[in-house]
Amino acid sequence: MVTVVVPSVWTADRRSSFHVEEGPLFEVLKRFVAQHPECRDRVVGPDGEPLMFMNVCVDDRLVPRQDRAATVVPAGSTVILISPIAGG
Amino acid sequence: MDEMIVIGGGSFLLGSPPWVLRWLAESDQPLPPDWFGDETPQVARDLAPYRIDRHPVTVAAFAEFVRATGYVTEAESRGFGMLYQHGWTECEGVSWCAPAGPGSVGHADHPVVNVSWNDATAYARWVGKRLPTEPEWEYAARGAGFRLWPWGNDWSPGKANTAEYHGGTMTTLADWKNWWATVHNRYGAISMTTPVGAFSPAGDSVFGCVDMAGNVYEWTATTSDLYAATARYEPSMLPAIGNYRVIRGGSWMNFRYQVRCSERMHGDPLGWSNFSLGFRCAQDA
Repeated sequence: MVTVVVPSVWTADRRSSFHVEEGPLFEVLKRFVAQHPECRDRVVGPDGEPLMFMNVCVDDRLVPRQDRAATVVPAGSTVILISPIAGG
Repeated sequence: MDEMIVIGGGSFLLGSPPWVLRWLAESDQPLPPDWFGDETPQVARDLAPYRIDRHPVTVAAFAEFVRATGYVTEAESRGFGMLYQHGWTECEGVSWCAPAGPGSVGHADHPVVNVSWNDATAYARWVGKRLPTEPEWEYAARGAGFRLWPWGNDWSPGKANTAEYHGGTMTTLADWKNWWATVHNRYGAISMTTPVGAFSPAGDSVFGCVDMAGNVYEWTATTSDLYAATARYEPSMLPAIGNYRVIRGGSWMNFRYQVRCSERMHGDPLGWSNFSLGFRCAQDA
């Protein structure tokens, strides 16, 4: 499993950490929003594909947008989603 | 239009004292206490004398830079910028001179927006200045004594360009979305900036700086970091540390709580910008 961390303000119960099955990064993100539809519009566009301006950190490394399609997230990793303007 | 304020050096406590987090937790606002944890604990900072722009850099000033240098912003190079529609969206043709996309016009006396950290830094270098550090920005906003907003501790919606200035008191994200939906349905995704200094002198800081609360978010030179290892912060903020740049001041998009002098936000410096993000410059005195 992979740990997905999102801003706590995305969820009504202020939960920020979730577990999703490992795999290609985009599949991990799609599985996450399928399990947590309240976060869907923050992570994927109307076409269901990940929003590329949303920054993605895998195990302490910010993944450049051009590298994301080829990124595979192994079990035990942590994926953090962070907006290009964070906090506030 | 390029007036600078001279600020003598001094020592002060950067960030928010504990009572501010308690006040935020008790206030009618939707964010949890840890959301604001990165503005604590207060830490002592010493500042050498410096100058800071009285107001954010305007469209007119940035246009002069572009005319003189041929500079192309990162939004222009990419071919898109970010607007808030029903959520943040990358939109073609959005740039500093077309803040809401093709057909829109940046008003000369408004703050320039859609400028990345690199764009802001390039402008500052061209005029012989630099971006302010985070402590310089906060000190210019409130002076040595702590205060919530540049004018004091009492909120007044008429003293700053915020969402509450345009749409009345808002306490929930739903309130904000309803207000923005009304604006968006009527005008589209416009940037609701106001002329620099429109709220002066009532909204000025103790040093006479204008628009330190609201109007546009402002880049600083400072790389995002915690004030202390003991700070409690939102876990999703971790990637910002060491990678993002501190943004200060809040914008026309925000409630009163996000335009406080000690409020911190963090922005991706790798080419990203949006229609509510600008900057002002500083200089060693």
